[in-house]
Amino acid sequence: MFPPKTMITAASIAAAALLLTACTADASETHTGLSLDLDNLATTTTAGTEPVDEVKWNLPYEPMSLDPIFGFNYAENTVTANLCESLVRMTPDLSTEPGLATAVAQPDDTTLVYTIRDGVTFWNGNPLTADDVAYSLQRQVGETATSYFASYFVNVDSVEVSGPSEVTVKLKQPDVLFAQAMGTAAGAIVEKAAAEAAGEAFGTPDGGLQCTGPFQLDAWNSGRSIELTANPGYWDPALAPKVQRLSFSFIADESTAVNALRTGEVDGQFFYLPPAGLSQLENGDDVTTTYGKSLVFWTMITTNLTGGLADERIREALSLAIDREGLAKVVFQGAAVPATTLAGPDYWGYESDAFATAYEEFSADVDLERAKQLVAEAGAPAEPIVLAVQGSSAVHEQTANLIQAAGQAIGLTIESKVIPVEQFGNLYFDESAREGLDGFFTTNYGNFADPLDVYTMFHTADSHNYSGWDGADAPLAEARATTDPAERAELVIEAQEQITKGLSWIPLAYEPVTLVQNTRISGATASFAYLYAPWAATIGGVK
Amino acid sequence: MSVGSYLLRRTGGLVLVLLVTSFLVFGLLYLAPGSPLAFILGPRGGTPEQIAMVTEQYHLDDPFVVRYAAWLGDILRGDLGYSIVYRQDVSALISGRVGTTLALVSMAAIIIAVVGIGAGTFAALRGGWGDQLTSTFAAVGLSTPSFVIGVALISVFAVGLGWFPTFGSGTGGVDTLWHLTLPAIALSVASAAYLARITRAAVLEESGREHVQTATVRGLAPQRIVRHHVLRNSLIPIVTVLGLTIATLIAGAVVIENVFALDGLGSLLVRAILQRDFAVVQAVILVLVVAFVVVNAIVDFLYTFIDPRIALGSRQ
Repeated sequence: MFPPKTMITAASIAAAALLLTACTADASETHTGLSLDLDNLATTTTAGTEPVDEVKWNLPYEPMSLDPIFGFNYAENTVTANLCESLVRMTPDLSTEPGLATAVAQPDDTTLVYTIRDGVTFWNGNPLTADDVAYSLQRQVGETATSYFASYFVNVDSVEVSGPSEVTVKLKQPDVLFAQAMGTAAGAIVEKAAAEAAGEAFGTPDGGLQCTGPFQLDAWNSGRSIELTANPGYWDPALAPKVQRLSFSFIADESTAVNALRTGEVDGQFFYLPPAGLSQLENGDDVTTTYGKSLVFWTMITTNLTGGLADERIREALSLAIDREGLAKVVFQGAAVPATTLAGPDYWGYESDAFATAYEEFSADVDLERAKQLVAEAGAPAEPIVLAVQGSSAVHEQTANLIQAAGQAIGLTIESKVIPVEQFGNLYFDESAREGLDGFFTTNYGNFADPLDVYTMFHTADSHNYSGWDGADAPLAEARATTDPAERAELVIEAQEQITKGLSWIPLAYEPVTLVQNTRISGATASFAYLYAPWAATIGGVK
Repeated sequence: MSVGSYLLRRTGGLVLVLLVTSFLVFGLLYLAPGSPLAFILGPRGGTPEQIAMVTEQYHLDDPFVVRYAAWLGDILRGDLGYSIVYRQDVSALISGRVGTTLALVSMAAIIIAVVGIGAGTFAALRGGWGDQLTSTFAAVGLSTPSFVIGVALISVFAVGLGWFPTFGSGTGGVDTLWHLTLPAIALSVASAAYLARITRAAVLEESGREHVQTATVRGLAPQRIVRHHVLRNSLIPIVTVLGLTIATLIAGAVVIENVFALDGLGSLLVRAILQRDFAVVQAVILVLVVAFVVVNAIVDFLYTFIDPRIALGSRQ
């Protein structure tokens, strides 16, 4: 996944830096105290009980589209999660429950039959039909489909209406990722008639949107705000909104956003990186900060296996020398957890005991002696190792500094090369942009609680496997086709071991969701599920 | 020169400037690394088939000249193009935001004119500590970047005292004026300081002129002398600087709009550049260039009113 964060960090740095200098003393005092416990991350916040006229929420930037198939990023999904519902609903604890499909039958490994819920209507009053469901999925199938979720549809052969309220999906080969993706925006259902009428404009400020969620799109004032109102005809009484109006602003500048939260002009925001003003928020009386279960991680990607990081021993040495505790504390202001694998404990949606046991084998402890020994064995590369750093991002630069220091301690020369924020995104898909680089940093996330979703990116056929690392192709391919959870877990664990030892991506930190709410309200979903399920439907006023 | 031929010449100049600018903007953006593909394809990057299809659909591989010519042709037909990142017409994107920038720049221009001319005149006529104080303020104002002033204003007047909102452009009318007050002040500080300096120098120079001294010796009321002899004659440099300043405000708004999260052309431009959204960048820059040229034309026009001896269109 790529640079959801690039533009945002860029816009905010200058002012954020100022703010940081302004309250350094303050921050150092309060932040030594904040340390996150992986087992204690929140999933929900206390339900608000009172009706509320309006809740103002901030997005880190303006969405590019509200059409769910173009929603694979923080701001977009934060909004669409309340508007468009998926076949399967992600719950706050990252498991799933029935959504627009009341049941999913799997007569064989390559057939999925979805029973569509009766009595559901779109905002315009039209009933939800199997036709709408089939259409919503079909438009993501095919090699040239532009859906951001297209990779989950590669094995789909056909999507057909097979009964009055039944849709059957045929797969070319078994694919466990497809079924799970139906709980993300990939499985979100839109009205066929509305989407066809609007064409390319569907989901833009001009084109409107037509879904079934607890909130309906009232207006998108381009550049200014997105306004939602409660959907009076919503089918699920458990998630009937207590909030009448939900309006989104787009404050990209971090310090401006923090100020707006402090003054109460904005009631809440989800942060994917801890903002520089985190301590000000935590110390404020008028807001609450909650850290939630999350699938987001911070990592260093090796871009090629020919340069300074070619030798696995060098990568291992570097990984052993990195002070992840220090990184979490300093770079992330305590709002992160040292990572030993890429997919952390929040990913264990099945067979969690097996995953936990496998996880125990990895450690984030620094071992300089072993690292030096590995460098001595492999021989330090003649050329410096070059890491790309995103221009004007404090998190990138500080991480690079830390890794440079780690390298120095064990005899590796590491240089950082600043890539302007406007070009950083090219690293993710343009090979020529990665020339001369050995690695770069990124935040990344899988979409549901299955480590396989992350590890699939290490298959040689995946467009994210930049270095062509091929150490786990067999278990990855087999796991994707294995529907039995216990068997799949075994294969995923095997792949995880290869991937974690191969270190073509070096895991650095797990980033929790940082949810900030004004004290006048409560109830927003605190976990990563906020990207795919109606997180605002549970918000209410606090007496 | 008649008004008719003046306008004709001005329009000709404008078209030429636009042509050159458009070529430069298009060319530079074209040469710069990066493409909108990253944003069209989305976070998972896309398969080779998708990349090929999108490239073809939006003519991303066409040679420079072909794309430039197509774009110019569209502009001539009044079509500002299509934002491939937002899947929207550029004219819709711009028209929704131009009002905010216009209001912001207008407010800042008024503040600059009032404060700059006022402070400069005060410094020149009062002299002594008044002059010292004004000059010191002017020096500080000139050397502080506008975003620093913006952040400071927010923390004192919005967060600290709670008098003003921290962001946004309000819901229209008085609410918008209220929302734009801090941004307009932040935007105008440096320019007001500069104008104050220019005004001070101009007023001092005029005060020393023979006809002013003659008027003083003849015993005319000091206020009348200041108004009719000193200020009137100082107006040419003041208006020139004011005009240029307002034109540059349009560029300054880019920064301020980001700090205050305003939905103006500046913040649109910044995002469009980051996303390589060619059509939007080109259209916004065109709008800014037109505004710049128009403001300059107005200044030229004003000269003839201030001093009828200056012929229309001459560069005295």
